[in-house]
Amino acid sequence: MNLVVAMKQIPDLQQIRFSNRRPVLADVPKSFGNIDKNALEAAVLIKESYGDGKVTVVSAGNEELEDTIKEALAAGADEAFLITDDNALDDADSSIVAQVLTEAIKQLEDVDLLLFGEGSGDNYSGQMGPRVAKLLDLPMVGYASAIEIKGDTAIVVRTLEDVEEVVEVSLPAVITVQSGINEPRIPSVTQILKAGRKPKTVQDLEDLDLGSDHKNQVVTIDILAPESNRKQIKVNNASQLLDALKNENLIGG
Amino acid sequence: MDFSLSKEQLMIQNMAREFAEKSILPVAQQIERENQIPDEILEGLAGLGLFGIAYPEEYGGGGGGYDGYALAMEQISKVCGGVAMTLSAHCMTLSTIMAFGTEEQKQKYMTPGCIGEHVLSVAFTEPSTGSDPKQLTSTAVKQGDKYILNGTKRFISNANWPGTILVFAIDSVTNKPTAFLVDKWCEGYSISEPWDKIGMHGGMLLDVYMKDIEVPAENILGGPAMGYPILQLGISYGKIGVCSITLGAMLSAYEEAMKYAREKMHRDKPITKFQAVQLRLASIASLYEASRWMTYRLAWLANNVKDPVQFAKEAALTKTFVGETVIDLVRDAMAIHGSYGLINDYKISQLWRDSIIAPQIEGVTDMQKTIAAAVLLGAI
Ligand SMILES: Cc1cc2nc3c(=O)[nH]c(=O)nc-3n(C[C@H](O)[C@H](O)[C@H](O)COP(=O)(O)OP(=O)(O)OC[C@H]3O[C@@H](n4cnc5c(N)ncnc54)[C@H](O)[C@@H]3O)c2cc1C
Repeated sequence: MNLVVAMKQIPDLQQIRFSNRRPVLADVPKSFGNIDKNALEAAVLIKESYGDGKVTVVSAGNEELEDTIKEALAAGADEAFLITDDNALDDADSSIVAQVLTEAIKQLEDVDLLLFGEGSGDNYSGQMGPRVAKLLDLPMVGYASAIEIKGDTAIVVRTLEDVEEVVEVSLPAVITVQSGINEPRIPSVTQILKAGRKPKTVQDLEDLDLGSDHKNQVVTIDILAPESNRKQIKVNNASQLLDALKNENLIGG
Repeated sequence: MDFSLSKEQLMIQNMAREFAEKSILPVAQQIERENQIPDEILEGLAGLGLFGIAYPEEYGGGGGGYDGYALAMEQISKVCGGVAMTLSAHCMTLSTIMAFGTEEQKQKYMTPGCIGEHVLSVAFTEPSTGSDPKQLTSTAVKQGDKYILNGTKRFISNANWPGTILVFAIDSVTNKPTAFLVDKWCEGYSISEPWDKIGMHGGMLLDVYMKDIEVPAENILGGPAMGYPILQLGISYGKIGVCSITLGAMLSAYEEAMKYAREKMHRDKPITKFQAVQLRLASIASLYEASRWMTYRLAWLANNVKDPVQFAKEAALTKTFVGETVIDLVRDAMAIHGSYGLINDYKISQLWRDSIIAPQIEGVTDMQKTIAAAVLLGAI
């Protein structure tokens, strides 16, 4: 069973400081999003219950990824396939990253199952799984809360807002997982120290065949909720309140 | 000079933090009340490799060095000092065996300790002394190729758990302190009820009674009459544990002080508006940073001890500073809490009780200064 997990490097959310109501991201250590860790754990559990196989993590990001990936390798991944670039990937548009990941996955042999988090730990746009499935022309099941492999198919429980759906999908397929699917393991000292010695392929973004338009960047204009000006009218009693509401045309005169 | 933590060090720190928050925190109050660590916690720590983190893989250890050990201990202690205390006494024993054991002794006694099957102890202190090896009264009388041990040991951490206990006794041949590797729960070994101590609950403290315990001569660690140098170096490694535990208490007090200062309101504004509170917070932060880097440096030195005497000095200086500083730091954090700090529902009250322990154990502060001064002046 060859499993691939796509994980996104993000700033360690617990260590972000705020200054003037803006996050200070410089020097914040990198990590993976929590739901990505659930996807990895799901893959490792499937591999373990299957008895054999391999879990490969694919990830695209800046050079820090070579260090960050040790977290995934400590938590049960067997190998890593990384696409790195100084900065082009940091704020790249989802459609670009999906192409990058697809080109990476195409280089892996005999993939049976691809797992994604339902959304990344930072932007949570939830686009990557579906986009990659489309590009690879594979079936996709979203929001898995349980996965069971049966022969050439996966039985997936999808926990949606008011229903629970059980679907069967033929492999290879893309599945995105929910955070409730499992409790990711805490790696031991030995697993942490051996992570750096596991096989890792690192490819330069420039070496992928993506065509010319892979530089689209997302520009963050603001992260605060839109401001609404409040009138701050003070009243001392109910009749003043009624008058004020009438003056604002909020209740009939 | 590079003070940044490596990815592996950060991962070890995160691992310990995550385990402490997920598994120890939910039972921390129970440990505080009952002075007992649930078995699942020790099993969890063993599973993560934390019983042998600092030691080589060939003896069942994790190979994470003392730097990894210090980082992990700080995070565990931040949530529960008693759990960290148990590990600290255990690891001090492992370090001592690592430094003085024969290859065979290391294989035999370290491996079950490193994988967490055994919880190890050191038994030096006696009812009449904790600082002076010359006053030991426990005896080891040689009979053929065996020694017969008798005596009472006081305030021994982990004496209740199965495993090896390193006993210091005056041997009848040299009339000097000698260290023996003894199996707890062997014939002639018994323990008292746990002492009801002021803080760090869960870190169990007991007296050990030795009645005609038979120990083969091959169980002597480092050779006859080597008790004093063994104790000096072993306890120097032990100070990494005590200092890291203390750091955890400091970090917790630091967080509690910040949290309380931000939440406690005075005329609609948090009390952080008062300069007096600001100054205390700055003081807490600087005391923590100083203690932290001194402790990490001691751990780094311990990874490669070239001169045991110089290392003993560094350990004594670090323990002096960190052990005394925690009291000032917790005092500031307590001050910020006002009377609420005296209420047991607030963590700072527990930290207050925990914090006084560091300067009183593994050699009181005065003894640390005595050791450091002796090395500085060339007397050792
Ligand atoms: C939580 C905890 C865990 C412990 N775990 C262990 C353990 O696992 N194994 C173990 O063996 N012990 C352990 N102990 C005991 C501890 O290490 C000793 O109690 C400690 O070293 C102090 O010894 P003491 O109480 O006998 O003090 P003493 O040696 O009697 O000292 C009392 C005072 O006299 C002064 N003094 C003594 N000698 C001198 C001197 N030469 N010069 C100047 N001043 C001096 C000191 O300043 C000190 O303040 C533990 C204690 C505690 C509280």
